[in-house]
Amino acid sequence: MIATVDSVAAVQEAVLVSDRLLPVGAQTKPALSAVTDPGTVRLDCAGLSGISAYDPAELTLTAAAGTPIVELADALAAHGQYLPFDPPLAAAGATLAGTVAAGLSGAGAQRYGGLRDFIIGVEFVDGRGRHVHGGGRVVKNAAGFDLPKLMVGSLGRLGVIVAVSLKVFPRARAHRTLAATFASPAAALDTIGVLNRGPLALEALDLTSEGRLLVRLGGDDGTLTALTERAEATIGTACERIDGPEEAAMWAASAALTALRGNGDRASENPSDSDAPSGDLIRIPLTPPQLPPLSTALTAAGARHRFSRGASVAWAHWPADRTLTELSDRLADLGLGGQRLWGRPGPPLLGTVPGGPFADRVRAALDPDHRFPEL
Amino acid sequence: MEIIAALGELGLGERLLTTPAALAAFSCDGLTAFTARPCAAVLAESTAEVVATVRACHATGTPFVARGSGTSLSGGSLPVAGGVLIALNRLNRVLSIDPESRTAVLEPGVINLDVSRAAAAHGLAYAPDPSSQSVCSIGGNLAFNSGGAHCLRHGMTANHILGMTVVLPDGELTTLGGPSREGLGPDWTGMFCGSEGLFGIAVEVTVSLIPIAEATATFLAAYDSLSAAGDAVSAIVAAGLLPVAMEIMDALAIEAAEASVKPRYPPAAALLIVELEGDRDTVAADTTALEALIAVSGAVSVTHTADPEERALIWKGRKSAFSAVGWLAPDYIVQDGVVPRTQLGRALAEVEALSAAAGIRVANVFHAGDGNLHPLILFDGAEAGALERAEQLAADILSMCVRLGGSITGEHGVGVEKRAHLPLMFSPDDLTLMGEIRRSVDPGELANRGKMLVPMAEGTAA
Amino acid sequence: MRHTIATDTLGPRGPALTAPIDACVHCGFCLPSCPTYVTLGEEMDSPRGRILLMKEVLEGTLELDSALPYLDNCLGCQACETACPSGVHYGELITGFRAHVEPVRRRPAAARLQRRLLLETLPFPRRFALAARLGRPARALAERLPSPLAAMLALIPDRLPPAAPLPARMPAQGPRRARVALLAGCAQQVLDPDINWAALRVLAANGIETVIPPGQACCGALAMHTGASERARPLARANLAAFPTDVDAIITTAAGCGSGMREYGLLLAGEPDAEAGAALAERVCDVATFLDRVGLIAPPPLPEPITVAYHDACHLAHAQRERTAPRRLLGAIDGLTLVEPAEWELCCGSAGTYNVEHPELARRLGARKAANLRATGAELIVTANIGCLTQIGLHLREAGVEMALLHTVQVLDRAYAHALKGAPPR
Ligand SMILES: Cc1cc2nc3c(=O)[nH]c(=O)nc-3n(C[C@H](O)[C@H](O)[C@H](O)COP(=O)(O)OP(=O)(O)OC[C@H]3O[C@@H](n4cnc5c(N)ncnc54)[C@H](O)[C@@H]3O)c2cc1C
Ligand code: SF4
Ligand code: SF4
Repeated sequence: MIATVDSVAAVQEAVLVSDRLLPVGAQTKPALSAVTDPGTVRLDCAGLSGISAYDPAELTLTAAAGTPIVELADALAAHGQYLPFDPPLAAAGATLAGTVAAGLSGAGAQRYGGLRDFIIGVEFVDGRGRHVHGGGRVVKNAAGFDLPKLMVGSLGRLGVIVAVSLKVFPRARAHRTLAATFASPAAALDTIGVLNRGPLALEALDLTSEGRLLVRLGGDDGTLTALTERAEATIGTACERIDGPEEAAMWAASAALTALRGNGDRASENPSDSDAPSGDLIRIPLTPPQLPPLSTALTAAGARHRFSRGASVAWAHWPADRTLTELSDRLADLGLGGQRLWGRPGPPLLGTVPGGPFADRVRAALDPDHRFPEL
Repeated sequence: MEIIAALGELGLGERLLTTPAALAAFSCDGLTAFTARPCAAVLAESTAEVVATVRACHATGTPFVARGSGTSLSGGSLPVAGGVLIALNRLNRVLSIDPESRTAVLEPGVINLDVSRAAAAHGLAYAPDPSSQSVCSIGGNLAFNSGGAHCLRHGMTANHILGMTVVLPDGELTTLGGPSREGLGPDWTGMFCGSEGLFGIAVEVTVSLIPIAEATATFLAAYDSLSAAGDAVSAIVAAGLLPVAMEIMDALAIEAAEASVKPRYPPAAALLIVELEGDRDTVAADTTALEALIAVSGAVSVTHTADPEERALIWKGRKSAFSAVGWLAPDYIVQDGVVPRTQLGRALAEVEALSAAAGIRVANVFHAGDGNLHPLILFDGAEAGALERAEQLAADILSMCVRLGGSITGEHGVGVEKRAHLPLMFSPDDLTLMGEIRRSVDPGELANRGKMLVPMAEGTAA
Repeated sequence: MRHTIATDTLGPRGPALTAPIDACVHCGFCLPSCPTYVTLGEEMDSPRGRILLMKEVLEGTLELDSALPYLDNCLGCQACETACPSGVHYGELITGFRAHVEPVRRRPAAARLQRRLLLETLPFPRRFALAARLGRPARALAERLPSPLAAMLALIPDRLPPAAPLPARMPAQGPRRARVALLAGCAQQVLDPDINWAALRVLAANGIETVIPPGQACCGALAMHTGASERARPLARANLAAFPTDVDAIITTAAGCGSGMREYGLLLAGEPDAEAGAALAERVCDVATFLDRVGLIAPPPLPEPITVAYHDACHLAHAQRERTAPRRLLGAIDGLTLVEPAEWELCCGSAGTYNVEHPELARRLGARKAANLRATGAELIVTANIGCLTQIGLHLREAGVEMALLHTVQVLDRAYAHALKGAPPR
């Protein structure tokens, strides 16, 4: 069942009257908005929309839960600013709260950090229907518990986010991407390491399962030339330079996760179409030393993938002919965990999943009556 | 006493302290207006000892307070009278550094600066740099989500903590987060950071490291008024520059620094320190832009330097400023309110007016880039009523910060000191929920009782 | 920091006791340079902790006996003063406090004996030389001796160098640029008389005439820093009488003596000769500082290059705030490369009689210092204090390291004489 809300009071009301509910946004990540228990009410928060505060000189922004990321990006771009954590699936319609609850950062997080580094305030409705807020609207704030961070990755299971405050940064005026091909992902790892520890602040550092290393540079027209030369010298191998609209389109496709949808031939622009993607899309946090074994395991299973944020995360397409249990076991073997964004019915988190007594106790306070689904 | 007997069983030997002198030495942190004597202090040397001590406290219903280096400015590590103080300063080993992952695993007592020292061999550094970085511990930084001059670009402590092992208030050991920069599931790690010790004790911490900057340029600009310097900060941000640090000191703070570490600042009503950091080409380009911006911002003088020794001296002056006010007055209260960056000029004018009205001198030294004020309220505790008047002025300044849309604390935490001001920022529902979370984690309210939240034991629920 | 101590009840040294407590803001910036905090890792053995303890004792909320063990652990190295951004004169506080409580403190009989032996032997060169010469065979019995005596024996060197008595005057070579008076000192004159001789020769080579006034006594620092002001005052008065006022400076070659004499004003506070004491203190100057001030005549270049690690003696670096002069002097020697050891601010553990009173702590600090110096890879270690030379030499030997050790003036002296190289290991 879907219930639509367009005010905080309506959210509170919905929480109080539903035994079980799950907030949803634009459902660009269907695996997270799917429910197993048919009695669960899905609370559509897209109606809570709009930017309530944005002053470019403050480098902060506050917007309602259902505000589309594109709307934020446009408003910021008008002042040369951007969301440095580079949320994916914006073009598909991802909302602010959906992005926060899913805990998603994109390739651009290589430069300044991920979502958790940019969220400064949150308002949400807890499991008792109370409208509460944590953090604030200023970039720095140490008062009270850090509920904004807790909402990052909460998957709609700790409360219904109704508004979010973010820190934003000025955006580089010009970009260029250097592409170099290595024999395998593992072969590119040394170069990734050198770049990760090197002096150049990269806008993105990604690696495809075909061993193509993508190094995105940002600056102004003046500095970009120097940055290019230095990056090329570090990479060593012959680099292709990609500029202009082609460059922008390439990263837009990456943010849309296009290459990891379906079986390639059945790529769909709308992942929420029930028949669109076959197989599952999964996000796997990791550290660079974990790249080679994970790459091997994914390749063996025929799973196309892409490493991002300087080998801090893998995005993989797990083929439909492989079971989720197998994926979960593989990940657990490697000491890794993953989060599904879309695919067949099943739990959102796989492999080694976080939790434990601290999580249980905090959750018990936020949702004493178990109105939200289990994590 | 039951708890002393229980601790006696732990085989701590001389590391269980119960003599009056030993306990007196632990009776306060950097906020000396509050003191309390614990019934025992434990100098822990292992996770197992922390667990055993917390278990003993839990079993006997004794409140406990963790202490790193005791530099909290809000009474965070003030003991609970009759409770147990758990000193973590001996747990100070850097357990490992992984240059590939750019992470380090630390015991909680490791001194902030020692992390960068250890990482330097790999060309890496630990970004958060509270002014107290040569003394304060990672555990204290974590518990207070400490900031520093360079968090404008790099963020606060919580942004650099990836995972941790913690001892919950009943002695249960659990792990939060992990070694990756990317998270999975709710950010429990982020939630634990800044919880002021109320959720238990971190015994192992994984932090992320950044590459040591290739080029740095530090600007010193003198202005003839505080608000002119404050406006320059807004102009720099509006121009799209992103320095790593923007700090302002007023004449009184400059005077204190000159009396103390003699940084040879230019004489000024307000001094703006701006630091650029990055690759050499970007810094060179930004230097040109910044120089031009400052020149048209009404600065009386401006210089910049890349020389490590000159830069070190500039920062030494800035980072010693709190302690240096000891030259100006016997006592001070430092406040830590935040205002929106664009309200800086107005906030500073209000501080000045409040200070004049109260007849109390206030030195200002603050993280201008973050809108994080640090008014140092000077008084002489020997004068009757002086502390109370200073506290009243502090409270007025905090109300003003919240009125302008800011916060009562940017980085020093609530502690005992700003507990009463928390309702300025949070609704009764917000505070009730925080209290519920706290008691769900720690039903006996044993961990750092009395800090941040008013405990049930004191009556009014929060 | 606020306190409720009534300053006026503390007598003439009252302000010296309460001013540091006022000024301390409890920020802890002093912790990393405090040798006892760094080694023991406990708050009550930190400068900040000790200030709190002294405050509480003076306020009457803490028993003196409970606080004393931690206050006694303090080396008086004053590293905390160098580190303190708030300008806390910790040295004045601890010295004043020790003197203040000495009349009321109780010591066990053995400690009393040890203290008396030290205070009655070390400051008197002839007594110390006698003990050193004749006491040596007793070391075989050390295990069976009462510990205070055993501790004394530990101070006795294996051999005493032959001592040619110092002249009454050493003329300047060439045109006279200055005229100074030298404090001969006590223990140093017994343990290594060459230092004073080297100083005389170096001063002379720089056109400085030196007089060694007869009737001078030990500087009194040892007594002063252990709370025995009643023993220190007569020594100070002897020096007040002995030292002429018509010299450009009173030169000390042992950092500990220099810092001691510079405290005469405080030592004599409230006494009729307080002003005279303060005036003398003003004119006291370490030999390195003075040479640097006058301008060193550069020694001839060394035949072979040498790497030197300079160890900052606490009583020069912290108590007298002098770190640059000795480095500039050494740096003036062509062919000498100066290297800096890690943890320069940490005391070597010698600190007067500390190695006798707190052997275990002193041993740990000595070993740490020796390791840091060794890690520099230098061929020669140079410092400005006899206590440091002895302590560091001991710990290098214990670590099985043969490294040469010299006083700054000995290095200069040898450089002038074309004899700097292969200095004998100590
Ligand atoms: C001169 C001066 C300058 C300062 N400048 C800054 C600044 O620029 N920015 C800033 O943010 N702060 C600053 N501070 C405040 C202070 O240094 C920080 O709050 C610091 O993080 C405290 O660290 P600590 O080790 O001293 O912690 P403590 O004071 O010992 O403890 C602080 C809190 O943390 C808790 N705690 C300690 N260890 C643990 C642990 N392992 N697990 C759980 N809880 C723990 C304690 O219970 C207490 O509540 C300054 C302080 C001084 C004195
Ligand atoms: S550094 Fe100075 S002010 Fe700070 S605690 Fe130490 S003595 Fe006190
Ligand atoms: S004098 Fe030396 S030992 Fe004593 S408190 Fe200061 S630093 Fe520590």
